[in-house]
Amino acid sequence: MRWTLFIGALIGSSICDREKFFGDQVFRINVRNGDEISKLSQLVNSNNLKLDVWKSLSTFNRPVDVLVPSVSLQAVKSFLRSQGLEYAVAIEDLQIYHEMDNIAADFPDLVRRVKIGHSFENRPMYVLKFSTGEGARRPAIWLNAGIHSREWISQATAIWTARKIVSDYQRDPAITSILEKMDIFLLPVANPDGYVYTQTQNRLWRKTRSLNPGSSCVGADPNRNWNASFAGKGASDNPCSEVYHGPHANSEVEVKSVVDFIQKHGNFKCFIDLHSYSQLLMYPYGYSAKKAPDAKELDKVARRAAKALASVSGTEYQVGPTCTTVYPASGSSIDWAYDNGIKFAFTFELRDTGTYGFLLPANQIIPTAEETWLGLKTIMEHVRDNLY
Amino acid sequence: MQPRRQPPPAPRSGPGNPRPTAPLLALLLLLAPVVAPAGSRSAEDPAQPEDAGVPRRLLQQAARAALHFFNFRAGSPSALRVLAEVQEGRAWINPKEGCKVDVVFSTERYKPESLLQEGEGRLGKCSARVVFKNQKPRPAINVTCTRLIEKKKRQQEDYLLYKQMKQLKNPLEIVSIPDNHGHIDPYLRPIWDLAFLGSSYVMWEMTTQVSHYYLAQLTSVRQWKTNDDTIDFDYTVLLHELSTQEIIPCHIHLVWYPGKPLKVKYHCQELQTPEEASGTEEGSAVPTELSNF
Repeated sequence: MRWTLFIGALIGSSICDREKFFGDQVFRINVRNGDEISKLSQLVNSNNLKLDVWKSLSTFNRPVDVLVPSVSLQAVKSFLRSQGLEYAVAIEDLQIYHEMDNIAADFPDLVRRVKIGHSFENRPMYVLKFSTGEGARRPAIWLNAGIHSREWISQATAIWTARKIVSDYQRDPAITSILEKMDIFLLPVANPDGYVYTQTQNRLWRKTRSLNPGSSCVGADPNRNWNASFAGKGASDNPCSEVYHGPHANSEVEVKSVVDFIQKHGNFKCFIDLHSYSQLLMYPYGYSAKKAPDAKELDKVARRAAKALASVSGTEYQVGPTCTTVYPASGSSIDWAYDNGIKFAFTFELRDTGTYGFLLPANQIIPTAEETWLGLKTIMEHVRDNLY
Repeated sequence: MQPRRQPPPAPRSGPGNPRPTAPLLALLLLLAPVVAPAGSRSAEDPAQPEDAGVPRRLLQQAARAALHFFNFRAGSPSALRVLAEVQEGRAWINPKEGCKVDVVFSTERYKPESLLQEGEGRLGKCSARVVFKNQKPRPAINVTCTRLIEKKKRQQEDYLLYKQMKQLKNPLEIVSIPDNHGHIDPYLRPIWDLAFLGSSYVMWEMTTQVSHYYLAQLTSVRQWKTNDDTIDFDYTVLLHELSTQEIIPCHIHLVWYPGKPLKVKYHCQELQTPEEASGTEEGSAVPTELSNF
């Protein structure tokens, strides 16, 4: 067939490294009649293109969602246009969302994918809710990741952790007992717009992608935008700054979505935020050098967690309050969480200490996630045993 | 249990009675300048309060500055060192002038692709006196380190790197080392090491008591042939400054030959402030001799 040759010529070399999350797009294709269904079937079944149907062909006038790997984008677009098939790019670049969907589908009794809001550029914000129990508002743990988009080890660790939770539930006594008592909410991509931007335009983008009126600079630092000494020291009022706090607290819709969800739930006991890099495990406060009322307990737990983490590969973390361990930072997530009654509030700055920094090689993802898991478990076990 | 903050010290040897002018300095001034084990790094010492003695952050700052300077002066891309652990230190602060830090720290060999190998790092020890001048770059540094690599081995490795560089096709069309996924092609390692060496000069000059830098990525490379045998190397790096989280592009031009002092010229884009930082240096045994190049 003419179109097969046409597409074949555009494909070039084989697709490699399907482990990458990046560059893929989801096409939502409208099929209006049998003829169009047949054309689409041929496209989808073509081996070269490695297309993956998310929502399948069933009847007419129902859109079909197809995941198209980045290498096939041009070819698929050309084909659809030449055949007069209507399509829209549904979600840019989020195989990580597909993976979340898979996890929820594989373990429906344990996991649900929940939409908690949307980003500035209207991407969905999805969390995975791990819950073994009925009953409203069980005490809960919030695991936050990817708020700074360039810190790729954060999103990667989060998605690995999701898989770890489901595979270890009812095998590992620790996570099993944690889940018997509490729910876990995991947000792997707290800044989806930034994440896409790091994949397509600028690998070192940190902030959101919100527009700043009157400035050519884009975005605010989502970890300076929380309502905890907002616009205090350790943040900037310059939209061009990497630590621009935004026009007001919760101005960033990505932050507001989390705040609203947590406040509505009302029973979170633990908030952990994953970042990179520096190998630090910190607790409040960032906005001031004052000692948090629970500093002593938090320090003890953090030290135990760092020790557990180090037991895997010898990776050493420094422990302490944010302000003196790294730098003053106002409007941060864990300070907000702590000042809003979530006692067990911690920030992880994951690997490494500067050799690769944000550009941590892929072969360190699993070792990082494995050691971090022990640290997370230590904290969650303590929360489980010290519910208040 | 040691009190978290010690009472203001009695008149001490060193610059006159300091008065706190900024939150950071205020915190530092409440601590006596003692030789103290810089807060235990591991999580295994519960008896030690986290911030006993001199703040670890300032000592780390000083150690990093000293190491950048050391790497630059050593002029050896195959013998680069990174900070392993701060061991002890003391500091004197004068709000008008700046601060002086004595620090002892251990180092290990910089070898990105073999992070997981034990014993490869081999710890060396350095002691340094670092003087940060208020608001001014170029901390004054006096640093000595124990030898980590045998001199002959280092010369051999430098020469090997030199030959690898010379063999690379010119012009080099390199985009991004490491790539966005953190990978460095083995045949591109010499370029990265040499870029790191040149960047050390830049990072030394730019480090202050509050700013410190990491080399994030090499984004463009050109190597020019010269009439002599030197490596003439022109490139752009992205530096990551930790306290502001800014990414700073710097254009660096260096000239290198194994065993000879490194010559560096650079121009960094300061995105936040209107001034731009730039500098020129030729490494030599005589300290702080600025020379045209």
